[in-house]
Amino acid sequence: MKNILLYTLLVNLSLPLAGFSADLSKKGNSAVGAKVWSDNCGRCHNIRDARELRDDQWKTTVFHMRVRAGLTGQETRDVIAFLTSTNNPPRRNIFSGSSSTSSSKTKLSGKQVYNQTCIACHGENGKGTLPGVPDFTRNKGPLAKNDKTLIKNITDGYQGPGSPMAMPAKGGKADLSDNEIRAVLVYIRREFGK
Amino acid sequence: MLESELEIELEADGSTKTKLEYLTIDWFVNDYIALIAGKFLSPIGQFRQNLHPSWINKLPSAPPGFGHDGAAPISDTGLQIRGGFPIGKIRSNYSLFVSNGPEYITEWDGAGFELDGIDAEGKGADRDGEKVWGGRFAILPFAKLEIGISAATGKATVTSIEDELGTAPTLSNEQPRDYNVFGFDYYYKLGSVLFRGEYIKSKVGNATSGVSASDGGVWKTWYTQASYRIPRTRLEGVIRYSDFDALSASKDQKQVAIGLNYLFASNFIAKLSFESNDGQSGATSDDDRWYIQMAYGF
Repeated sequence: MKNILLYTLLVNLSLPLAGFSADLSKKGNSAVGAKVWSDNCGRCHNIRDARELRDDQWKTTVFHMRVRAGLTGQETRDVIAFLTSTNNPPRRNIFSGSSSTSSSKTKLSGKQVYNQTCIACHGENGKGTLPGVPDFTRNKGPLAKNDKTLIKNITDGYQGPGSPMAMPAKGGKADLSDNEIRAVLVYIRREFGK
Repeated sequence: MLESELEIELEADGSTKTKLEYLTIDWFVNDYIALIAGKFLSPIGQFRQNLHPSWINKLPSAPPGFGHDGAAPISDTGLQIRGGFPIGKIRSNYSLFVSNGPEYITEWDGAGFELDGIDAEGKGADRDGEKVWGGRFAILPFAKLEIGISAATGKATVTSIEDELGTAPTLSNEQPRDYNVFGFDYYYKLGSVLFRGEYIKSKVGNATSGVSASDGGVWKTWYTQASYRIPRTRLEGVIRYSDFDALSASKDQKQVAIGLNYLFASNFIAKLSFESNDGQSGATSDDDRWYIQMAYGF
């Protein structure tokens, strides 16, 4: 009887490992994950800071949330890709030119970057879709800051005073190039700046 | 994945009560199905399965009828499949379950029995041997709106007696009674205002044989809630209206609850609320209450 119980326990404990590894063998899309994250978490609770947990903790947490929120396996992988990329931000200043990983080649236009990466939290109108996300259209809002500060905030991530959550580095899309970051800032200023 | 929630409560007499709220083993079969086995939170409605943790519930209390011995089931012991899938551009989520179901409580008044409540909390033992099956289906036409319906049906039996006199006869040959529960829930986000609400109706059938034979009954409850996060502050206001109709008039309750929350962080919240209750005169359901609560979510 003891052997049966032990076997059952071992099988049960191995299930999550097998389940996670099978699910995570497919790739997640961090940009899609940002939207899934912002669309779903707030349905039940305040959105947690993406930098609150380690990668391994997020994996367990997001699989828990898959069960709770009725996410598909692909949505789960997308959210994990977003959260883990947020936890591994490129810590550099693009003005220093010291990065060896970030390309200066522009692949996406500013509008494309905004619609793929920023829109989930900042919204189509730039006013923010989540509590704590700043309104770009305010006179004394984020766009009152200079380009150097804003590019640093986009690159490294930023948490404003009074906001319960931080914007992840590069909005969670770790492969954004320097030029794409500049392009999206130009787009944001043109679309939402006064 | 193994999931569990342990509840530790301090009782009025100073003793400590521990309880397993749920304990499940989850197997992710494929991208659209997770198989859940064990004691799981009831998928009827939204409050119990997703909103009851203190750091998530925007008020310190559960809406009347959504707690223990209410209209909404708490948990079940059995098997469940659940997940989500797209229908064109619309997202949806679902759950289907079969479980041991609830058991009934009857009350002895010295002359006869009257149905008293539904013990809708999953147990390790299936004392009445009856099963219940059901589920929930929800669609999200767009990200800011979710509409869900849920239902369960089966049979259950009276297994315990409320007997203040100590003279009740022993239960025997109890007839299984019909059990049906229906739920509707919604969530809608308008700017910074979140609206949500749900309706639950539980119906228990008659029993014509057995020691506790008596008429059946209906328990129903609903609430709707609005919350507003004040921009560029850590403050959040909440208002909720609830109406619970129980079989016993002393448990009927209409409630208006208002609250103000301060968010130290998304998962660390201080709450202050006031509940104005309208129940049977002299009953505890008629007492107004103030609450202060600190909630932390891991």
